[in-house]
Amino acid sequence: MESNKKYWKGIEELNRTPEFVEKNKHEFAEPIPIEEILSGDGLKSKTPRRDFLKALGFGVGAVSLAACQKVPVHKSIPYLIKPEEVTPGIANFYVSSYEGNAILVKTREGRPIKIEGNPNDLFGKGGTSASAQASVLDLYDSSRLKNPLQDGSESGWNQVDTFVKGQLAGIKAGGKKIRLVSSTVNSPSTLAVVADFIAQYPTAKHVTYDAVSYTGIIQANQNSFGKAVLPHYNFDKADIIVSFGADFLGSWISHTEFNRQYATGRTAKALEAKKMSRHIQFESGMSLTGSNADVRMPLKPSEEGLAIMSLYNALSATTLPGSKKVSDANTDKAITLAAKELLANKGRALVVAGSNDVATQVLVNAINSLLGSYGTTIDLDNPSLQYSGNDAEFVEFANEVKRGEVDAVFFLNANPAYDFYNAKDFAASLSKVKLKVSFAPYNDETAALCNVVAPNSHYLESWGDENAVTGYYTIVQPTINPVYNTRQAEQSLMTWSDNPVKEYYTYIRNNWEKTILPIAGLSGQSGWETLLQTGFVKATAKPAGTYSFNRDLNAIAQTILTHSSQVAGGNGLELQIFESPNIGDGKKANNPWLQELPDPVSKVTWDNFAAMAIKTAEKLGIEEGDYITITANGYSIDLPVLLQPGQAQGTISVAVGYGRTKAGKVGDGVGQNAYPFHTFRNGTFQTTAAAEIKKTGALKYVFAQTQTHHSYEGRSSVIKEATLAQYVKDPASVVGKSESKETYDLWYDYEKPTYNWVMAIDLNACTGCGACVVACTAENNVPVVGREEVRKRREMHWIRIDRYYSFNDNGKTVTKEKEINKLDDLDHVSVTYQPMLCQHCDHAPCETVCPVLATTHSSEGLNQMTYNRCVGTRYCANNCPYKVRRFNWFNYWNDSRFENYVQNEYTELVLNPDVTTRFRGVMEKCSMCVQRIQAGKLKSKLEKRSLKDGEIKMACQQSCPTNAIVFGNANDPNSEVSKALKSERTYYVLEELNVQPGIGYQAKIRNTTELGV
Amino acid sequence: MSSHSESIIREPLITGKNITYAQITNDVLFPVENKPNKAWWIGFTVASIGAMVWLFSISWTFWYGVGEWGLNKTVGWAWDITGFVWWVGIGHAGTLISAVLLIFRQNWRNSINRSAEAMTIFAVICAATYIFGHMGRTWLAYWTLPLPNQYGSLWVNWNSALMMDVFAISTYFSVSLIFWYTGLLPDIAAIRDRATGLRRRIYSICSFGWTGSVKTWQRFETISLILAGISTPLVLSVHTIVSFDFATSLEPGWHTTIFPPYFVAGAIFSGFAMVQTLLLVARKVLGLENYITMFHIESMNKIIILTGSIVGVAYITEFFIAWYSGVEYEQYAFINRSTGPYWWAYWSMMTCNVITPQLFWFRKIRLSIPASWVLSIIVNIGMWFERFVIIVTSLHRDYLPSSWVMFYPTWVDVGIFVGSIGLFFTMFLLFIRVLPSVAIAEVKLLLKTSSEQAKLKLIKEGHLDPEQVEYYKESLQKFDSVELADYDKV
Repeated sequence: MESNKKYWKGIEELNRTPEFVEKNKHEFAEPIPIEEILSGDGLKSKTPRRDFLKALGFGVGAVSLAACQKVPVHKSIPYLIKPEEVTPGIANFYVSSYEGNAILVKTREGRPIKIEGNPNDLFGKGGTSASAQASVLDLYDSSRLKNPLQDGSESGWNQVDTFVKGQLAGIKAGGKKIRLVSSTVNSPSTLAVVADFIAQYPTAKHVTYDAVSYTGIIQANQNSFGKAVLPHYNFDKADIIVSFGADFLGSWISHTEFNRQYATGRTAKALEAKKMSRHIQFESGMSLTGSNADVRMPLKPSEEGLAIMSLYNALSATTLPGSKKVSDANTDKAITLAAKELLANKGRALVVAGSNDVATQVLVNAINSLLGSYGTTIDLDNPSLQYSGNDAEFVEFANEVKRGEVDAVFFLNANPAYDFYNAKDFAASLSKVKLKVSFAPYNDETAALCNVVAPNSHYLESWGDENAVTGYYTIVQPTINPVYNTRQAEQSLMTWSDNPVKEYYTYIRNNWEKTILPIAGLSGQSGWETLLQTGFVKATAKPAGTYSFNRDLNAIAQTILTHSSQVAGGNGLELQIFESPNIGDGKKANNPWLQELPDPVSKVTWDNFAAMAIKTAEKLGIEEGDYITITANGYSIDLPVLLQPGQAQGTISVAVGYGRTKAGKVGDGVGQNAYPFHTFRNGTFQTTAAAEIKKTGALKYVFAQTQTHHSYEGRSSVIKEATLAQYVKDPASVVGKSESKETYDLWYDYEKPTYNWVMAIDLNACTGCGACVVACTAENNVPVVGREEVRKRREMHWIRIDRYYSFNDNGKTVTKEKEINKLDDLDHVSVTYQPMLCQHCDHAPCETVCPVLATTHSSEGLNQMTYNRCVGTRYCANNCPYKVRRFNWFNYWNDSRFENYVQNEYTELVLNPDVTTRFRGVMEKCSMCVQRIQAGKLKSKLEKRSLKDGEIKMACQQSCPTNAIVFGNANDPNSEVSKALKSERTYYVLEELNVQPGIGYQAKIRNTTELGV
Repeated sequence: MSSHSESIIREPLITGKNITYAQITNDVLFPVENKPNKAWWIGFTVASIGAMVWLFSISWTFWYGVGEWGLNKTVGWAWDITGFVWWVGIGHAGTLISAVLLIFRQNWRNSINRSAEAMTIFAVICAATYIFGHMGRTWLAYWTLPLPNQYGSLWVNWNSALMMDVFAISTYFSVSLIFWYTGLLPDIAAIRDRATGLRRRIYSICSFGWTGSVKTWQRFETISLILAGISTPLVLSVHTIVSFDFATSLEPGWHTTIFPPYFVAGAIFSGFAMVQTLLLVARKVLGLENYITMFHIESMNKIIILTGSIVGVAYITEFFIAWYSGVEYEQYAFINRSTGPYWWAYWSMMTCNVITPQLFWFRKIRLSIPASWVLSIIVNIGMWFERFVIIVTSLHRDYLPSSWVMFYPTWVDVGIFVGSIGLFFTMFLLFIRVLPSVAIAEVKLLLKTSSEQAKLKLIKEGHLDPEQVEYYKESLQKFDSVELADYDKV
């Protein structure tokens, strides 16, 4: 039923007043001025109060959106067609060769990022040098030339080729001399290219020039045995090694190989047999080698000849004319002792000398001949080809230039305008040469004087081969397209000499096919491919012949004495110029990793210095850091003084390789150039001189040293060492293991069900070379911080090598600073090296103090650092007894103040993509290469097998030429590391703190002997 | 508190003639209700320049990184945590005065507690700036709070003393702030009642509607006691926990069980020194001699000598224990402190904290305003050195000699430290301009019982033991704000 009820809302509706009817027509009781607002006037009028919030909201939103910085777009282009061998995230390894050592190059997505030793390499057996590790950084060096230069301005290859060929044609027609100056080239293919070049231009000659020269040894062998070769030494076959200033562990000839050989006589295996080689070193400056010696005697350069003569006399029971005792009675005793020991070990003895003086080396040959070293510890039949420079030839070349006889000169890996002793003169006379071409990858001191710079490619961009020791051929293969517009020098030479072969790659293949591959019984494509997998070809070594010395030594003795008196001349000091292990001859000066790697002995970074004995300095009123002017051979430089324990009194040692002026952004102006102190005498460059010094009175210099306290203060739980005699008598007494005391733990033990990653470091094997430091830097993207930051003690290295001096005072070892200061005799110093890195303590003190749990323990015994969680209180670093944690004080990767080093679009390519770079304010430290552990575990998992011992190698372990570092799983009793840790020499640093470190050290044993010193 | 007559042998707590309730209000509110004088302006200018230095230095640090300080791989804390502990320590006197002395019914605290509490707040603010400043990634400071987060079980580390610190300091700051503000309420109401216009509105809001009714007063007294009860353990706990930052570590020179009591004593020591430094000046400049009397000054000097001696005993004990423990690192740490490269810091600390405060055994020095002021500054210098010695000389040479280093401050370190003093004084000077620097209501409580007038009246009434009166009169000799001539007549 329909309701007729009416509901009304108000009396107006009931009455239907006219006003109501009118109002009811509209939806809203009051008119809303929508039209007015939209028609323009409204918008211009004052914002109504109610709209304020709306406007505010919109305004703030819009402004903040507009203010948002546009995120920079990094374009990364995926592979359109993926190269078969490249899988993103998986590293590829390619064989190659660095300075004749077979290596593996690790590449990621087409970028070489790390150098690793080839485990089958003849020299390092997987170990590498610091400079090999650092060489990958040079590839991306932004200071390298990006294009060829012609008359100082950038040019193209075509213009350069046209110009050079035109010039050469003219010179050929004129019949004037063409010279190719290079440092030692042992590459068979390069030498063939050079030979082809010379065939095309008959007036050309190849002059080999090594800044740090071994001409003395080569000439001496020519004189003594008629073989102008650099011998191949076998330190592993020597039970007694006597070295006169040869830094064979640091920089001498094949030091990586020598490190490995040297350690075989001193590691755990040798000690198990209660045997150990003995090493006696006589030298002026404290070298890395001297610091490892069992007996080390300081010896002035002027007395080196006398000392070798005394040794010869003692061995041969004759007396050379003019012989007299060295001034120091102890040194004399040591010579007598060395003679006795050498005689007792005939055939297992080796005497080496670092001198580049022919006469001195002839005398050393005589000694080695007496000892029957030829055929055992010295191999003249498979000689080393690492250095073949001929000093006289180069000096003759310099004279030719001066006389204006040379019309064209090519410099290949040679920089005489910097490292020739008479560089100033040479550079001036170079203007007489019409065509000067440098193949330097940098616009270096010599290149800057040339018409044409045809930048050579980096070895990682090149094809090539090397032949460092007779019969050992290594291949160099490119791992990346040239980063800059560079070309291999060989290719340039081939182009300029119209070689019938157009490509150097083809040339090498032909050359190998013809001469080298057959040695290994290989041939054709498959042979070549095998080579590219193995990396080298090794011919069966010729039997090392015995040689006997039968020349008259009287004239030799006379020459030595004259030379000695020249060095001792005047009443000044004797200056010794040496090659530092890190920077070498200066060609690597633009490498920030090497500059920041502390010198193994002085721990100085980013500088060279005048090393001086403490007592000498005291006498002269000189203190550490004082600037002195050193004047010798008409040249002088100002250098700060470093007080070096063990430095022979009355001597100064200065390293070459510094003071570059055109090395690049990194190397320019680091230190002072010491090359001009060299002299040319008796046909070779001499590295010693009589020098005058004067204090300049300039403000004291503060060295950027990574270690400034040098003694271990008798802290026997830090350093444990013993003599071989003590070790043989009672091996357990070396570390003095006490009966196990009951310990109490506040913390729970972590369960480590599968793996317990630990490390063993043998202090007896470690020579302190520092290769591990650079390897770690490369592997873990450790930033370079520069001199000023190191000076502030903020180097970032995750692994460091602590170096402690202790002094011998009447048979007592003095290790406390206060007692050392009272000693009169500071000459007899012993050095201990200790690699120090995160100990991965099971009861890590850092873990308990972090407020935000940024550092925690893993179930595999690792102490892990979570960068993302770190807020940067630094409490963990304070509480770390080993002080191995490193804080990012600045944003080293993105702060313009540090961009000189590794911070640009090119060098960033060297970063390991498996490891993040750390932001400012974050703590970091050794992760035990956790990315490698992870990769190893994944690999074994994919292959459905358990992890094999030794499959995962730490970067530091891998680079170590002496195998001082062993890493592995302690849960596996048969692993190498478990075995190494069972050694009775094993101790844990600061064991009594019960932080339960994961790294066990094997105590150092010294094969010392009573000298009555 | 009490309206009975106080024994005549007690020294008066308020001096001056014709002191009435109104007079007290007038006197105390004088700086609040009038334009600042020249002395204030000079002080404020200097202090705010200091605050600007602080702002510049801390901004510099935030812009470039903590590397702008002199720290290095071995010394991870230096001036930052030294400054932090120093400021937290200074704050302790305020809490001790306001809470512990309230519970022990030490009425003399009534005239100094307000300023001391304000000092606490400002000192804790200064300390907090170091906590934030020293972090490598300050913008993530909130990660030290156990906040629920998207990372599941990612939590903070309750084992870490720094974690405990976060709670200790934040609790301390909030309780101190509440206590201070609660005490201020009746005084703000007093200002409100006398003010007009905008000032009145502001103070009205700040007074939280204080009515002054009996009920309000009753609640006020209750809450004061409750807060005092909460604050009292904080006096002991905060610096105990700060000391845990060191005591729970492995560092030789830090790893010491004596630290908690030693730190608390040191904190009170430095706190009272800072109260002296502030009040000796404020008393003169603000004309509050009648309320902050020589009795107050002497009492605080006595506390300084007591706590200073406790600290001295602790220093000697540390040495003895280092020797007695037979731990070579511990022994070296202490020998290095006193004879190593930072020997001057150690001996500055010993001189300033142990030797010079002993001068307060002499009554003359205790009662000398210039001497008290100078000694209070010396104590503050000494306490800064104490923290520097503990932190830097322990860290710079610990276990492995290869890592031994020296620490050299940079201009930024100095700027932040000097600047934080500027910041502190800026805040304090602003405080005395806008809030009463003496607790008006609490001082008024003492007027009828403990003031000099009340005592004079008692003497005049003549029911007292004459010997005691003589004793009382003698004790008045030390007051610089009492006219002794008045007593000759009686």
